[in-house]
Amino acid sequence: MNEQVTLAMGAGGRQTAKLIEEVFAARFDSPLLTADDAAVLDPPRGKMAMSTDGFIVSPSFFAGGNIGKLSICGTVNDLACMGARPLYLTCGFVIEEGYPLDKLRQIADAMAATAAEVGVTLVAGDTKVAGKGQVDGVFITTTGVGEIVEGASPAGAKACPGDAIIVTGDVGRHGCTILLERDDFGIEADVTSDCAPLWGSVEAMLATTKDIHVIRDATRGGVGTVLYEIASQSGVGVRLDAASVPVDPAVGGVCRMLGLEPLYLACEGRLVVIAPKQEAPALVEALRACPYSQGAAVIGEIIDERPGWVVMRTEIGSETLLPQPTGELLPRIC
Amino acid sequence: MSDTRQRTAAQILAEYDGPHLRIMEVCGTHTHENFRLGIRSLLPPQVDLISGPGCPVCVTPVDFIDEAIWLAEHGVTITTFGDLVRVPGTEKNLADARANGARVQVVYSPIDALQYAREHADEQVCFLSVGFETTVPAACLAVDQAREEGVENFSLLVANKTMPNAYAALKGSADVFLYPGHVHAITGTKLCEDLVEQGVSGVLAGFTAKELLTAMAVALAKAQEGKPFFVNAYPRVVKPEGTPAAVALIEKVMEPCDTEWRGLGAIPQSGLRLREEYAAHDARKKYGMPEIHGRANPACRCGNVLRGEITPSECPLFGKVCTPLHPVGACMVSGEGACSAFYQYGGSLS
Amino acid sequence: MCVGLSAKVVRIQDGMAMVDASGAKREISVQLLDDVEPGDYVMVHAGIAIAKITDEDEHETDAVMEELLA
Repeated sequence: MNEQVTLAMGAGGRQTAKLIEEVFAARFDSPLLTADDAAVLDPPRGKMAMSTDGFIVSPSFFAGGNIGKLSICGTVNDLACMGARPLYLTCGFVIEEGYPLDKLRQIADAMAATAAEVGVTLVAGDTKVAGKGQVDGVFITTTGVGEIVEGASPAGAKACPGDAIIVTGDVGRHGCTILLERDDFGIEADVTSDCAPLWGSVEAMLATTKDIHVIRDATRGGVGTVLYEIASQSGVGVRLDAASVPVDPAVGGVCRMLGLEPLYLACEGRLVVIAPKQEAPALVEALRACPYSQGAAVIGEIIDERPGWVVMRTEIGSETLLPQPTGELLPRIC
Repeated sequence: MSDTRQRTAAQILAEYDGPHLRIMEVCGTHTHENFRLGIRSLLPPQVDLISGPGCPVCVTPVDFIDEAIWLAEHGVTITTFGDLVRVPGTEKNLADARANGARVQVVYSPIDALQYAREHADEQVCFLSVGFETTVPAACLAVDQAREEGVENFSLLVANKTMPNAYAALKGSADVFLYPGHVHAITGTKLCEDLVEQGVSGVLAGFTAKELLTAMAVALAKAQEGKPFFVNAYPRVVKPEGTPAAVALIEKVMEPCDTEWRGLGAIPQSGLRLREEYAAHDARKKYGMPEIHGRANPACRCGNVLRGEITPSECPLFGKVCTPLHPVGACMVSGEGACSAFYQYGGSLS
Repeated sequence: MCVGLSAKVVRIQDGMAMVDASGAKREISVQLLDDVEPGDYVMVHAGIAIAKITDEDEHETDAVMEELLA
């Protein structure tokens, strides 16, 4: 018989304690994670970064990961983008009544493994069970605290004309993976999510130079949306070289089939890094030595002209604008 | 070798010093690709690229969306290409209807819509059939199969259009037509040959950078010779005879009818409807739909844009109330709509 | 008007073909074309093959240019 999550497991009594004990505490084991009402922690040295994010991916398991791994990577990467070494995480679960316990264990396994890999500690958690249909499977919220590496101060408003733009790997894989998993369009392709924790890559960059102007993780909306955000925050133009944007061939094939732009498909393990041009070669080299950023490449530069816009140098050497993001990605026939 | 030819093409564009020339991208995908590839930036100032009516979403009148919403609100599952989901009806679009609980399913192909109907026998399933000769065969295949297999819960809401009489209506609005490659992949090149006889010039164009550059170079070079011409610059895909089986299938399933084009008005015999034999799969008949007359925003000037009379930025709504995120007119919704292309590509770089 | 996808036919059965576009695979109808065989390239629109084609845009397009220059 398949064990399932029941409403009683969320009622706060013995069954709740049992669920937490067996599924979560056993995996997130740490002296900092206690049965008390709050975690008691040593504060970070110097400046601290804090971030929170909710995860509601459907389906919750996909090629290359699951919502558990995603929930750790998401917050770890948000902290890393500020130059912060992730220290502590909390996690809140909202689980749909009837959700298989086995899957919940796999989610917790992925969270524990990813946290351990990064060296971040899960220090507090919360579990709620919602009635059937009130949520879709399992929703997770994670909140993280990180310690900012001294001398690092990347921010979205700091891009300067002349800076190089680096992306840490091929774009659009997570979005493409989810699209394929949902199987709405009968397409098959060998594509795996890029979902990955990127603190290691950021740490390697900061060991190379502290002179990094912007680090952003491209999640929903993809690299294209991030570039438009940076162009707007920094009041600069962005010039991309279309040919140098790395795209997995199969992702490209799926995009051509559905009329989608890979730059607007979600990533969950890709950073956009903006730094002075002279630092770019060393940064790319450092990134390529890290497991999750081996495909790092310079894809363009920050320019004075056309502030707020992303200009593309096309395959035929002309210039055009990257269309601005328009929200929901709809496949098109025309 | 091939790059040399591509460079030659680009050079012909750059060196053109002939008279003012209006080239109409009949096909919206050409508009889209020309923007994406930055072709406009390669053209001399006296060459204008005008976007034509060849975006099925853009020329579909508001009534059609209202009809689809009527069906959705009467419990019919709507299956549709993604393109139509955000097109405004009189009061709302299909995304709004979906948010209010209607079933709206985006599909890649009408054949997938039929499959959905097979798998959901307890639902009434209607596919929104828009598009030109390229797209019609797929819808015909689906409805023909539905009739053969007796898939009774599957129907089409048809607003398909055909090009021949539209060309007649567009005559004089451009000096050279960039003919839609994939329409003529179905219908062949005879119509284009006939149009030359009537003094209408055109080039059949493909969609890759090289194909588009070549077609544009041919258009400029030939235009300077001063007499009407037709060149098939997309022989890789378009054969003179087209795809006869597709034409025969359209003929079998649908018949011509008068139809309304947003912007161009009524064009006789330029629409298609299901033949009587398929009445059981004709959503309008099957569900006893009343006559629905939609109302477009009166300030919207999609019509003038579609006729190539104004550029999108001359419309008072453009970029202010009408943006790709909140489209008022259909030309702003579709990725290949002239307004959307203008907006998203910043009115080109010039 | 009509986004087309050029793809390679991998296998065919009963008028349906599996096509491959750089690793993205999907089943489409090839009922409207004669003599399509695995290995052929087709132009795909809305789930059906609308024309049998050559896979590269090189050769035939070059020929168009050459004729123009002749």
